[in-house]
Amino acid sequence: MRSTAAVLLALLAGACAGGQGDDVFPFPVSVFELDNGLKVVAVEYDSPGIVAYYTVVRAGSRNEVEPGFSGYAHFFEHMMFRGTERYSTDAYNAVIKRMGADSNAFTTNDWTAYHFVASADALETIMEIESDRFLNLQYTEEDFRTEAGAILGEYNLNFSNPVALLQERLRARAFRFHPYGHTTLGLLEDIQAMPDNYDYSLEFYDRYYRPNNSIIVVVGDVDPVELQRLAEQYYGAWEPGDYEPLIPVEPPQTRPRSDSVTWPNPTLPFLMIGYHSPAFSDQTIDMPALDVLSQLLFGETAPLYRQLYLEEQVVDVLSGGALDSRDGGLFSIIARITDPGRIDYVRDAIIAGIDRFKAEPVDAQVLAATKSHMRYQFALGLDNPGGVARTLAHYLQLTADPETVNRVYRLYDAVTPDDIQHVAVTYFPETNRTDVTLTQAAPDADGEEAGQ
Amino acid sequence: MRPRGLLAALLAAVVLMATACASPPEPPKPTDESTASAAAVGFQAPDSPIVNLRIVFRTGSIDDPPGLHGLNALTALMIGAGGTETLGYDELAETLYPWSASISAQSDKEVTTVTGRVHRDHLEPFYAIFRDLIVAPRFDPADFERNRDRLRNAVVSTLRGNDDEELGKEALNALLYRGHPYEAPTMGTELGLEAITLDDVREFHARRYTRGNFLAGAGGGYPEGFLARVEADLRDSLPEAAAEQVELPAPRVLEGVELLVVEKEAIATAISIGFPIGVTRADDDFYPLLVANSYFGEHRTFNGLLMNVMRGQRGLNYGDYSYIENFIQAGGSRMPVPNIPRRQQFFSIWIRPVPHHNAHFALRQALRELQRLVEEGLSREDFEATRDFLLNYSQLYVQTTGRRLGYLMDARFYDTGFLVDEIRARLPALTVDDVNSAVRRHLRFDDLGVAAVTSNAGEFVERLLAGEPSPPTYNTQVGEDILAEDAEIVDYHIPFNMDRVQIVPVREMFRDIAAN
Repeated sequence: MRSTAAVLLALLAGACAGGQGDDVFPFPVSVFELDNGLKVVAVEYDSPGIVAYYTVVRAGSRNEVEPGFSGYAHFFEHMMFRGTERYSTDAYNAVIKRMGADSNAFTTNDWTAYHFVASADALETIMEIESDRFLNLQYTEEDFRTEAGAILGEYNLNFSNPVALLQERLRARAFRFHPYGHTTLGLLEDIQAMPDNYDYSLEFYDRYYRPNNSIIVVVGDVDPVELQRLAEQYYGAWEPGDYEPLIPVEPPQTRPRSDSVTWPNPTLPFLMIGYHSPAFSDQTIDMPALDVLSQLLFGETAPLYRQLYLEEQVVDVLSGGALDSRDGGLFSIIARITDPGRIDYVRDAIIAGIDRFKAEPVDAQVLAATKSHMRYQFALGLDNPGGVARTLAHYLQLTADPETVNRVYRLYDAVTPDDIQHVAVTYFPETNRTDVTLTQAAPDADGEEAGQ
Repeated sequence: MRPRGLLAALLAAVVLMATACASPPEPPKPTDESTASAAAVGFQAPDSPIVNLRIVFRTGSIDDPPGLHGLNALTALMIGAGGTETLGYDELAETLYPWSASISAQSDKEVTTVTGRVHRDHLEPFYAIFRDLIVAPRFDPADFERNRDRLRNAVVSTLRGNDDEELGKEALNALLYRGHPYEAPTMGTELGLEAITLDDVREFHARRYTRGNFLAGAGGGYPEGFLARVEADLRDSLPEAAAEQVELPAPRVLEGVELLVVEKEAIATAISIGFPIGVTRADDDFYPLLVANSYFGEHRTFNGLLMNVMRGQRGLNYGDYSYIENFIQAGGSRMPVPNIPRRQQFFSIWIRPVPHHNAHFALRQALRELQRLVEEGLSREDFEATRDFLLNYSQLYVQTTGRRLGYLMDARFYDTGFLVDEIRARLPALTVDDVNSAVRRHLRFDDLGVAAVTSNAGEFVERLLAGEPSPPTYNTQVGEDILAEDAEIVDYHIPFNMDRVQIVPVREMFRDIAAN
């Protein structure tokens, strides 16, 4: 196994490492890159004897560009547990069991993560079995077809919740071309057809499970120099790829869209509203300003939240915001309405609440309190190695640069009342809005409705 | 699916290597147990910028008066989502917001926990609010209306119509504990919540939140002397009244397999199986059962047998797990929330939604595996692998200071040592015979409860009771070994008690206790 030539060893982090004083991420970060493009990030964090280990693959349901193949990023995440020639499924599970590791995986719109929290002594074992499945995954068509049953099971359990249906419908209405138009689980008809698409799953692996499309993050009781040696040993032979997906561009929405669905079981009505939002950037102010605006609208002290939740009590769920996303996404708002006759009222109140930020600059003190909330919220989330790894992995999947987290929080600090007004005007015109309501299909004979 | 030949040799080598590599990490931090008293538990981590507070009261849904099911949960919510005498809820939220500090309340059958979390930059002003919420809640009428509706909606909308898995688990609880103080959902019943008045809440608070009825806890970066002050403040400010403990009768005896089917529109069938057991963390048999259960159905891992044979080999559903005590997953993690201790526990199997046409097969398979566990036990190899797993995995129960504090407080409830230490001390001394004999003493496969949530409940029940073969439908050809095993599963006999079969429309679930 050849040794790595390109090594970018950099201490990026905060006060104790001599980093910039205003960095929000307070731990020393080391970064290096193998010749094949695999980036490895080590974070020294005070968790004696424990490490968190994340493998980030920068592919998610965004990469499901062919019609009829929604849900494959997630399906493929499942298949990664189906073994290699060296470690069968049983052998892999036996290793995990002996380690006593907490290990799992998840898939999002933009990325897929495979993660462990385990004894620091087990680091090399983790790297051996993880590199083996990333380099040498091998599963039969029978395994593939069997796993399709687990995917359908996951769909079934999710869709006993009406929010899953609402999200599916909102995305389908808001996006006509971009793969964000379907959920990560995929469409039911595509899931039902999965057992017959073994070859496509291999294609997905070949396209995206490449070192130059992946990042490893290790947090906790880790020696960066030793980590680099192990990374070269176990991942050095991983062949890079050059596949570039042609992800359709969503044209601007030009008029409001609306839809409604019914739910066959007892439920209070729900309303979801989506506005197209920009792609993530750690260079421009728009996404940070939208994040601040989501707090100003739906945080616990927001006037709109107080009005609808505390004073009028016409909603018992109200939240909203935009996910950081590789391409333009959605600023989504969800409300559960306590009185089925007041859905329109709640919709109008939400729109009026947004319009207030278009018309008037936010009070400087309120803005300062919001920024303080966001900074402390971030700090409070860094209380265990898994949480730190998850946080950093989120920003790494967006830009592959660990400094992004600090840049974003510097942008939050820089948001002005004018920025808030600007994003309110830019991203919340009526023509950019899609709303979907969900109501109970048929009340009882005596007219009883769920909730009050 | 078992490895053979070369693969088996490789597996053995891998196992040896992994054993050599992995050893339990050392306990991460010193505790300040020296500051703990009869009513306080501390876990000081001086380098941590975060402070967690937990005040556990011995009050739970078992203390709800007849007809007022939900009173304990609502009283807790008036603390966790209410105001103080000097700060309305909105003013309180305004104060906490810039600190991103949080206060909440968690209710269970026997205890209620008020939890606070704050950065140490704001500990003092935060603590003043936290303390006032507990000793002098505002009991504002508007907060009361909102919180009562929130709980009622959680029952009539969320539980009945938005989450079949939770519905199945609550249905199982209602079936197992019929006529027992554990019967009602912790959050209350529809009619119980509607009947509660603000005066009921005031009276309940005065009666249950008393100076002799709490355990104060602090974890993280709090200063010396802080926990003693918390304890003294509560002792000096809470009323002196004695909060009596409800005597718990033995749960009723289940006769045969008792069946409760909740009928609603559902795209798949959710199933929960269980029975009360006479073991809690206070008993020596808890530890061998912990090993047996981990082998059989460790929560959301492929270490469990059920997960492997039902999902892994057959793709029946998303997951299949088992438990020897009440288990609530903490957020998106796979670890249980602390501070839900009980004097009586139950064994359960959770079969996540299965396509309707495979539901009968899945139920048969789970029960057959349970029978095999009871009759055949664990092999020595499975026992050793599972014990080693738990010795490492249990260290991860307490990755944060908040969780560690919660477990330290639970040890007080059970009058035992810290769970992770108990596991570390006791498991190495166990033998496979200890585990298998504990399984035979406490687990069974005949007298138990089955709760299912499904569509067309009448047809489903008819199929179950008729006992005709129930061959599964698979996406693919399966191996000969699986087909051979399926041939035994498809007509596995489930000894249903025909007098204890019930179909309940979802609208009738949790209206009140009698309706269940």
